[in-house]
Amino acid sequence: MKKSILSLVAVAAMTVSLSATDYRAEKPDTWTAHDISTAITALYGNVTPVEGDIKLKAPKVASNGGAIPISVKTDIPAKTVAIFQDVNPEAAVAVFTVPEGSNAHFALKIKMKKSGSITAIVEGKDGKFYSKKLSLEVALGGCEG
Amino acid sequence: MKKLILALSSIALMATSVLAEATVNVVPTKVKMKIKAKEKEGIVKAKVSISHNMLTYDQAKKKGKEANFITHITATVGDKVVYDASTSQFLSKNPLVKFQFAGKKGDKIKITYTQLKGEMFFATKKIK
Repeated sequence: MKKSILSLVAVAAMTVSLSATDYRAEKPDTWTAHDISTAITALYGNVTPVEGDIKLKAPKVASNGGAIPISVKTDIPAKTVAIFQDVNPEAAVAVFTVPEGSNAHFALKIKMKKSGSITAIVEGKDGKFYSKKLSLEVALGGCEG
Repeated sequence: MKKLILALSSIALMATSVLAEATVNVVPTKVKMKIKAKEKEGIVKAKVSISHNMLTYDQAKKKGKEANFITHITATVGDKVVYDASTSQFLSKNPLVKFQFAGKKGDKIKITYTQLKGEMFFATKKIK
């Protein structure tokens, strides 16, 4: 009896520490993929995302490629949100886990080498995948330092 | 006798679990971060700015330094995770992230980030 309680406690402790997923440790191939489709396959498996109601915001012309403010917002009940772009050496930028009970609304600043496009993928709670693509111009590349 | 064995085994179990945790989780160092967290109608909007040079592999090669960038950012309130992002080298220098979640005034938000080699840093702030 005691042992079973102990093991239960151990399991509970494990699930708590696992609630924050580190996609770098779990899906290492995503971060070394050179184009968006390979990165998506490495992260989610073989999926075909459909165009969805995602608000992806970025400036049309970014003056400084070293810090481009982008934001992604969606009302779709989401599990994860991933952001990719297609001009840097590797495609993946960030993967967010949407915490239980809050909606997906994230903003961050990214680097881009030259003009290109950003793709946001939303993994819905219904198991479907939604995507949104946005192209922008970069006046001064931000990856050369 | 049986009880003794059980107690012993439980102690051993605890010891191993502590050991395992120590090897997996590096103790985070406290650093300065710019954090703004404001509550309005049950929704907390948070802005976090981390001082970090975010050297990509290419930049590091040119400068003859080692690549170093943030790989993971987590925000917690109490023991609840409110923000969790795995990130790559393409976040800007001194990255700024914004997010929102359901929360209330007076709680403490804790931001933890992990670098490429696994070092962890954290900062806390009261939600206004």
